[in-house]
Amino acid sequence: MSDISLQIRSGDFYFITGPSGSGKTTLLKIIFRELLPSRGQIIINGVNILKIPSHKIYGLRRMMGIVFQDFRLLFHRTVFDNVAIPLQVLGEPKKEIRRRVFNTLRMVNLHQKMWDLPSRLSYGEQQRVAIARAIVNSPKILLADEPTGNLDPELAFEIISLFKEINRQGATVIIGSHDRELIRHFGDRILFLQKGKLIGKDSL
Amino acid sequence: MIICLSFLIVGVFLSLSNNLQHMARELSTNMVVIFFFDKAATTADIKDVEQKALGSPLVSEVKVIGAEEARDRFQKNFPDLKDILANLKINPFPSSLEARLKDTASASGEIAKFVQDVRRMKGVQDVQFNQDWVNKMQSLSRLAKAVGFFLGGILMLASFFIISNVIKLNVIARKNEIEILRLVGATNVFIRIPFLFEGIALGVMGSVISLVFLLLAIMLFPVYIGSLGVLQQLLNFRYLSLSQALGLVSAGGAIGCLGSLSSVSKFLKT
Repeated sequence: MSDISLQIRSGDFYFITGPSGSGKTTLLKIIFRELLPSRGQIIINGVNILKIPSHKIYGLRRMMGIVFQDFRLLFHRTVFDNVAIPLQVLGEPKKEIRRRVFNTLRMVNLHQKMWDLPSRLSYGEQQRVAIARAIVNSPKILLADEPTGNLDPELAFEIISLFKEINRQGATVIIGSHDRELIRHFGDRILFLQKGKLIGKDSL
Repeated sequence: MIICLSFLIVGVFLSLSNNLQHMARELSTNMVVIFFFDKAATTADIKDVEQKALGSPLVSEVKVIGAEEARDRFQKNFPDLKDILANLKINPFPSSLEARLKDTASASGEIAKFVQDVRRMKGVQDVQFNQDWVNKMQSLSRLAKAVGFFLGGILMLASFFIISNVIKLNVIARKNEIEILRLVGATNVFIRIPFLFEGIALGVMGSVISLVFLLLAIMLFPVYIGSLGVLQQLLNFRYLSLSQALGLVSAGGAIGCLGSLSSVSKFLKT
């Protein structure tokens, strides 16, 4: 990727779109610092995140919720355990973890499968577990890479509506997607990528 | 297994060293110097030596053994050789003086000087002294300890690498989990703790099992060996002291802790 300069304000709801291989995932990975760019800077809340030492990167990640394209679930742990991870990391009390995990799973309509292993769930259900894990700690920034890629249109709309609700509560949401229908319906602000370059910004 | 074996070797050598030290202590508490008088020694000469020995701060007890008493002792101790003595026309045993040294008399220089001084007195022909044994026993005990620590040290280093590799394999198996934990904002300490406990548990378990094996070996050893006379005392192993056992277990825990720290750290650098 090169020549990308953009500013996303706190509370914005952005779609990043473009054909496969355009750099949507790469851009998201750079924002949560899974990838380091060779040049440039990424400033979040006034801090250049590329200068944060690796042992202190947890501070940045704790204010983010991330939905990965490949879900990155722990298949030997239950749905509940997977969703509880971000809260355990924050040292929340067990009672509070139980309450918040249950509420979040109810939001994604998976509360009845709370004690199942992810391997027993459908692809779409696994995706919803990944979404629940990303939103369970009420993040300030929510990054989602193709969060509706395997969901039927009805559920996809429900999930994006959920992201909208989280956005209304103050979170900045950035979604990488190539679902034109979804973008047309929900996209306030859209970034168009092609071959690793930002080729357009659109505000509806 | 290798962790257990490493600690077992250290334990065996520590036990052997304890045993030798115990023997050295036993010998030094029963240290007796025997001065033999020549035939020409007069009662006055013997009296002088007795006075000299009694005057020494190193000596706790002095006993003069006359030639007749020496012969009686021999006959009592070796009844089979009674006839040989009976055929002799003269009593071959010299008079002697046994000086029992105090338990506190451990400075070998002072003892040697006392022995030399008495040795040069009129009428004294020879001297028998077992300090060499004590010194040898003490050296042997030090050597056993050193060999134990050297071999144990090498094996403990091997244990360290084994524990780190066991944990490294575990870290690789749980790489996905570590990655997710990092991405949701876990601190390095949070990620390390379970591995740290695992390492400590491995080390402590290895050392505790080795202590159990050592105890069993010490208990069963005499049963298999049977009676060995003088050797029995040397081979009659004593178990480790509480502080030594606790030291071994702590060393196990420390090695496990270091091993896990070194292996997990490599995965947390990115």
